[in-house]
Amino acid sequence: MTEIRIIVCAKQIPDPEAPLSDVSVDAEKMEVIVDAPQVISPFDENALEVAVRLKEEAGGKISVLSLGKKVSDTVLRKTLAAGADELILLEDDNFENLDSHSTAAALAGAIRKIGDYDLVLTGRQAGDWDSGQVGLILGEMLALPCISLARDISIEDGNVLVKKNIPEGYERVKAQMPALITVSNEVGELRYISRTKMLKMMRGARSIPSWSAEDLGVTPEALQQMGITALSSPPDMGRDCELLEGSPDEQAEKLAEVFKTLR
Amino acid sequence: MTPHRVMFWQIGNVWIFYVLAGLATGLFLAGVVAYVSVWKKSSRSLEIPFSKEALKRMILDTFLGRRVLQGDVAAGLMHLLIFWGFLSLFIGTSLLAIHHYIFTFLEGTAHLIFSFGLEVGGLMLLAGVIWALIRRYLQRVPRLERRLEDAVVPLWLLLAALSGFILEGLRLAVERSPWGGWSFVGWCLSGFFSPAGAEGLYPYLWWGHALLCLGFIAVIPYTKLFHILGAPAGIYLQGASKPIVLGMEEGAGEFDLGDAIFFDGCMRCGRCVEACPSVGAGEPFAPRDFVQALRQALWQEHFPLGDIRFMSPKEESKVDENFWYCTTCRACLEICPVYGAAFEVVTKKRVLAVEEGTMVPKLLNQTLEKLFKYNNPWESSKRKRGAWADGLELIDLTKRGAEADLCYFVGCTTSFDDTAQMIARSFSKVLQTAGVNFGILGKKEPCCGDIARRVGELGLFEEQRKGSEELFDKYGITEVATSSPHCFHTFKNEYPEAPFRARHYTQVLRELMAEGKLRFKKGVEATVTYHDPCYLGRHNRIFDEPREIIRAIPGINLIEMTHYQADSLCCGGGGGRMWQDLQGEVKMSEVRIREAEATGAEILITACPLCLIMLEDARKAAGLKEPFRVMDLNELVLQAL
Amino acid sequence: MSDVLILGEVKEGSLDLKTLELLGAGKKLAGELGGEFSLLLMGDSVSGMADEALPYGPAKVYKLEHHLLQGFKTDLWLACLEQACREINPKVLLMSHSFLGMELGPRLACRLNTRLTTDCIDLSIDPEDGLLLRTKPVSGGNAISVFKCPGEPQLATVRGKVFAAAESGDANGEIVDIKAKIDESMIKVESLEIVREEIVALDKADVVVSGGAGLGEEDGFELLEELREALSKSFANVMIGCSRVAVDKGWISSDHQVGLTGTMISPDIYVAVGISGAIQHLVGMVHAKKIIAINTDPGCNMFKVADYGVVEDYEEIIPALIEKLEELS
Repeated sequence: MTEIRIIVCAKQIPDPEAPLSDVSVDAEKMEVIVDAPQVISPFDENALEVAVRLKEEAGGKISVLSLGKKVSDTVLRKTLAAGADELILLEDDNFENLDSHSTAAALAGAIRKIGDYDLVLTGRQAGDWDSGQVGLILGEMLALPCISLARDISIEDGNVLVKKNIPEGYERVKAQMPALITVSNEVGELRYISRTKMLKMMRGARSIPSWSAEDLGVTPEALQQMGITALSSPPDMGRDCELLEGSPDEQAEKLAEVFKTLR
Repeated sequence: MTPHRVMFWQIGNVWIFYVLAGLATGLFLAGVVAYVSVWKKSSRSLEIPFSKEALKRMILDTFLGRRVLQGDVAAGLMHLLIFWGFLSLFIGTSLLAIHHYIFTFLEGTAHLIFSFGLEVGGLMLLAGVIWALIRRYLQRVPRLERRLEDAVVPLWLLLAALSGFILEGLRLAVERSPWGGWSFVGWCLSGFFSPAGAEGLYPYLWWGHALLCLGFIAVIPYTKLFHILGAPAGIYLQGASKPIVLGMEEGAGEFDLGDAIFFDGCMRCGRCVEACPSVGAGEPFAPRDFVQALRQALWQEHFPLGDIRFMSPKEESKVDENFWYCTTCRACLEICPVYGAAFEVVTKKRVLAVEEGTMVPKLLNQTLEKLFKYNNPWESSKRKRGAWADGLELIDLTKRGAEADLCYFVGCTTSFDDTAQMIARSFSKVLQTAGVNFGILGKKEPCCGDIARRVGELGLFEEQRKGSEELFDKYGITEVATSSPHCFHTFKNEYPEAPFRARHYTQVLRELMAEGKLRFKKGVEATVTYHDPCYLGRHNRIFDEPREIIRAIPGINLIEMTHYQADSLCCGGGGGRMWQDLQGEVKMSEVRIREAEATGAEILITACPLCLIMLEDARKAAGLKEPFRVMDLNELVLQAL
Repeated sequence: MSDVLILGEVKEGSLDLKTLELLGAGKKLAGELGGEFSLLLMGDSVSGMADEALPYGPAKVYKLEHHLLQGFKTDLWLACLEQACREINPKVLLMSHSFLGMELGPRLACRLNTRLTTDCIDLSIDPEDGLLLRTKPVSGGNAISVFKCPGEPQLATVRGKVFAAAESGDANGEIVDIKAKIDESMIKVESLEIVREEIVALDKADVVVSGGAGLGEEDGFELLEELREALSKSFANVMIGCSRVAVDKGWISSDHQVGLTGTMISPDIYVAVGISGAIQHLVGMVHAKKIIAINTDPGCNMFKVADYGVVEDYEEIIPALIEKLEELS
């Protein structure tokens, strides 16, 4: 089996598991403040896991790209501990709050710079903005076959075979490599990275390359921010339970009304 | 003529016997060498410390069969009969060899006593072997297996003993010596044979007997009979080596000499299978099978020919992922004749699995991430850790200038779980009533590291240990009381340089009672039973304190369940099982709640947050309604104040 | 040209409910723009649906038929949609936030060099510049954000059940044919097989009716099943969930379990019947948009996270509720 080169795009986000009480909204600054540690977006972890498995099977090299204004290599080094060979941070002041299109453009710049690859994997969507666009736009920009929502990926004679989620179940599809695939959680969780492994990776003198917009050949004019014009807390954040009073019959009546309004 | 024995009577070509004996000894020794080489290769450390106590224990256990008698007198007596029968025959034969080759002493009275002694030894062996066969094949004691080896070994012994007696009978039938009556079994048998026939038959049977006996010696290392050597060695090493605090260093998950010898000393008696709550719940884990699988794996890895026990089927090496089922309840160690701590070996395997990463079950993977990020296995936030104490006006020891005599270490589960929070509130109120000056760590309270340690995430455990030690140090905390036996155990036994004394709340309450600070003014009219948490009872031998507290409450009638104290049954929440979605046929907690119900008690008392949650869930699942309740000891104490 | 174009979807041979909602939204936006709205239908045979759509008021129904559009091959559908957009040149294009919308939307946005906002729960036109204001929940629903982006067409996928479906009236519009310029060479991803699955995908449910220890007996789930059926008449994807205790008791299989050890869900409505709300359970459902709790214990945790609560025996409430729901529907 020939070796494969995989590029995984991983986004750093505040832990989406954080409870409601630790999330607040600053409407003035139009920022969501999450009092939680930074993590790798869960679907991107799924993508990394599938990449590592493919590498274990066929051999090859995995490069991880992570883009942001400032990316924490302590968070992203987890990808190296998990089995990635190379981590490249794409850091630039102009990379703050980029919209999906600009994010994809910057990532595409980095991928062109790497040049040689068989698969580009991304999570199906990020755990913070839940937009679900970057992967597919990236595929378009690189003019690759695009497959979304993969739950299983295998390689066969230069082709990639994917089981992708569809509303009725799943579809088996095939495309020639190089290809872009967005990965769904069904592929499985990222393997556990022990603290010992992680610490070893932290202590490693290995320096992590960081590429700026200029390195990627992306002009600041080509980068657009998300264009948020207003940000607010969702109206039903506080849950004050409204107890429906009365006889069981009356209570049922009120409850039925509730269902009607929610319809 | 003085009583004596004619050696090699009727036997020609005695040299053949010597060749065979040499061969048998060679095979035996080759086998032993193989064991030693495997132990050497498989063990991280080959150190054999000298310990007088361990040696004493080994001798007493071996010769008195104490560990085999414990908990199963019938098995113990049976084993003693075989052990002493076999040993006396072995010594007898050795004496005979000395008599023949070195100096003659078995004559006259000595010979008569010798003959009589061998008869008794032979009879003991025979009785023991027959009893063993009855237990295994007629009584069908559940913990005993019925594999080929299990039949071959006792039958071999049976044939050797029987052929020995018949041989003697044949000889005596011809000799008719005046002292023949001392060999009373042979003497009785001799009546059945005509001298002529006996003389003709004798050489054939003699060779047969010789082959059986020599073969038996040769086969010891190649069957479970190796426990003759392995068990005493195992007992010694388990006693002599210091309890190891698994650290983060390289190779923490690898085996040491004690483990390797334990695997080889295991003779599959199945006591652990009987005691294991996981087996009881119909889960696919059994300590014996786990240990045997590891034994085979060790031989596959470190011996060119693989496992030399030729009658052990190879099917056992598939236990791989089942070690996640173990709750580390210690029940297996409690009854293992060679003191084998299968649950500690489980932890070592988990260390390797955690390091490897792909074999960590999904929920555990998430829990470990959460433990690292938020220092608790429940919520992705540290913020609400002290929320249970709202309104109780407790001292927060992490606040500037705060001081107290006692630090109440609440623990993760007691802090976050609604059912378990009651423990914290009750204990706090009890302490307040008793006038104890105590404080909590509030939001800054860390995880003690129990879960990480139990599931083999030693790196995380070390970090949590260091963090906790620094925190206690920073706030000058020297006295700690825990809600959970798990935190207590971890602090007490796995923090080698702990700058503080940790006690479980039952110890604190018992002391307050002795000091007269805890007076029960109100009675509680109820029949109760008490569930020993594994990490309080078995692991730390605190059986009496909770019972003394319960009994001191006026009106309480404490009755025991079928399994109690060291024999208690696990609730199924320990060893990280609380955070794994593994399922057996039934829940361990349900087995336990049924046992509690069967006592007729109205209240099941326990002293551990995990036990409380598991048993309360089981009570709901079993549909047991009022007045039957599950309660933490603190709640009961609070009611009686 | 049309000011607002809607990409229609077909379900079981007729217009999808989500498309009717989009027509409603399109009408509103067209009004704000002072223009008209149209519908685009693609497929191997959509003529029937085009006729069906006219009474909902679109100025035009664009019909793009081709035998290769049978089944959903993303590459071909995308090419057709791109072609249609270039020919129709709408100011605003709306798609459902559905499988189809999410397959096509991002890639179309890239091809047309415009910006897409997904999963919108509200849309309006900024009167100053005529751009689309796109309201969308972010951070797992913990915040609501309004986006405004340049580019044409203004592109959004719209969450179901936030806009009222368009009402049927007089059919004044016309049907316009567009000739698809596609061929098999455009297929980059080849479909080998479609495997249908019957799964309890709790995380895909819109409404979850969940039972716990408080049901008291296995039969309790039969009552919940009746409620589920009653709700199915008004809601799309109603499923049965449960707590760990219910699974432990053997009342229901573990694929229904919600919570830490089961499925983590965030449905539109979560109905908790006889579930006290242990932390393991709560973490799995607290993100539900609306939570309704039915329990006899007013002190139980579930009421702390619920929007609506009924303190009463479920065996009293649910049969009555089913009756009322029938009356309402």
